[in-house]
Amino acid sequence: MTTRDLGFVALFAALIVALGLVPAVPLAGLPVPITLQSAGVMLAGLLLGPKRGTAAVAVVIALVGLGFPVLSGGRGGLAVWVGPTAGFLFGWLAAAFVAGTVAMRLDTEAHAPGVRLAGLIGGAILGGIVVLYAFGIAWLTFGAGFAFPKAFVGSMTFLPGDIAKALIAAFVTAQVRRAFRLERK
Amino acid sequence: MERQWPTETTDTTAPIGQTIVFADVSVVRDGAIALRRVSATLTERRIGVVGLNGSGKSTLLKAIVGLVAPSEGTIAVDGRDAVTEARAVRATTGLLFQNPDSQIVFPIVGDDLAFGLKNHGVARAEVGDRVATTLERLGIARLAERRIHELSGGEKQLVALAGLLVIEPKTLLFDEPTSQLDLKNRNRLRGLLADLPQQAIVASHDLELLADFDRVLVIEAGRIVFDGEPAAAIATHIERSA
Amino acid sequence: MIDGLGSTGTTPLHRLPAGVKLAGLAVIATVLFVVREPMVLTAVAAAAIAVALSTGRGVAATARDLALPLGLVAAIGAVEWGLGDGEVAACVVPRLVALLFLAHAVTLTTSTAELAETFEAGLAPFERLGLIDAGRAALTLTLAIRFVPLIVEEAREIREAQAARGLSIRPTALIVPLVVRVLVRAEEVADAIDARGFPPNKNSNM
Repeated sequence: MTTRDLGFVALFAALIVALGLVPAVPLAGLPVPITLQSAGVMLAGLLLGPKRGTAAVAVVIALVGLGFPVLSGGRGGLAVWVGPTAGFLFGWLAAAFVAGTVAMRLDTEAHAPGVRLAGLIGGAILGGIVVLYAFGIAWLTFGAGFAFPKAFVGSMTFLPGDIAKALIAAFVTAQVRRAFRLERK
Repeated sequence: MERQWPTETTDTTAPIGQTIVFADVSVVRDGAIALRRVSATLTERRIGVVGLNGSGKSTLLKAIVGLVAPSEGTIAVDGRDAVTEARAVRATTGLLFQNPDSQIVFPIVGDDLAFGLKNHGVARAEVGDRVATTLERLGIARLAERRIHELSGGEKQLVALAGLLVIEPKTLLFDEPTSQLDLKNRNRLRGLLADLPQQAIVASHDLELLADFDRVLVIEAGRIVFDGEPAAAIATHIERSA
Repeated sequence: MIDGLGSTGTTPLHRLPAGVKLAGLAVIATVLFVVREPMVLTAVAAAAIAVALSTGRGVAATARDLALPLGLVAAIGAVEWGLGDGEVAACVVPRLVALLFLAHAVTLTTSTAELAETFEAGLAPFERLGLIDAGRAALTLTLAIRFVPLIVEEAREIREAQAARGLSIRPTALIVPLVVRVLVRAEEVADAIDARGFPPNKNSNM
């Protein structure tokens, strides 16, 4: 990793933390305001690419383990690492990686703008929802002992908010890339 | 005016500096030409660089410490190439960025100064003393344990400067040091600059700051269009920018 | 800069070395997953709560810290019990409660510095294999901590600027400029780090 990579990883990790400290945003059509932190995770993958995006998430997870209250709501410490939501935390690594891989493949000059945006949305949803929920629900079932069907249904309550975040992440990525040239790694 | 800097001196009040040679240097950044065939031998104690935004002032400074590589030509600092021997050049040449927040890396002031020392291989036992002495010299010893984000803009700039001075460089490069300061802090910086024993090269819009310098370069679209006495240089710059 | 939850103190748990606490937590966690006796698990959970309270953080603060995971555990227990799987609930709930309180107790009684040292020691084998550079990893973490307050401040500025122009909060309108600023800043910081001579030579006398 070059110093520049180090800079991007560190500052993006700081952004993910900062997004957890910013108040939740109300969105038309959603009953509950959404916290932006997990959108930041998808952004890390979509903008920085699979390796650096995952590294940024790893920094955030390390900070949690070291006892910093960096997750939205001021949560942190080893209790988060071992608690029932641990799968959703560590799953962020896979989420960023998958989102980044899809973005690297589909959001390139070789594709039409429509395909590129679809690729970003697809990457965000595949990584930030499908893969993330898989890890989250797996831990709920095997780690926390919450039977699969119930864990699945319970997790679905978060789906509308997370879909909104995936769309936000995709659109933000498209707009940012117009203003700032950045290759994905 | 050729002047040889003393390479070794026990006289602590003697001026300190380096010979910086630009040999027909061109730099391309983001597809545009940032510096165009720049040639100059810089030895004076106080050198100013004026030019409009985007004229290439910052690029000139960054090139000296090898942050941008010339596409043509070479830059030598006391004989060492700015790109291939960047490490050695950076050990004796500090660059103060326009925005001090970009330069301060650690959350606590003292730790940030230690970072600079550790990068240059200073023994752990010496670090504490040198940090303390440098903070003392700039009058900010009381800030040693403070958190960066609680400091004012002027204080942050002093911390950033301390971070450079702590490694005892021979030359300091300043990129627009007064552009974000209020009057009081601008005066403080001018005072600091006057007392600084090191050679200083200052890129600035602040024409008053450069008025009593030894030499001022005027840059336009990457080219040096004037090189000489401050008064004439400033007049040229004003005239050409009208 | 954000502060870690861990602190220095004089309670017995504070004085235990970090390595012992972490290893102990790992062992207890493994045992908890193997044990299937509700009575045993409940006893351990009660002990865990006592341990957590011994740290001196106070009941109210501890309750606030763990509100979210405990709420989730309660929900899990209620669902399992309501659907007739009482036995499952009788094991799952105390097991998770025990884990949560013990883990939190370790976090509260171990300073960030101690944890960082243990962390570095843990990374040492990976460093010897050339998979990770501990120095760069440490710098990356420090940088992240350093810049959080600045980015929060920038988010606030952007939001205020938009409110002043009468625009309602749209997430994209906040995040796009914020991300661009972060990326620009990242490049400047990387340049500054290079200019300050990072990384140190491997064979320096440190």
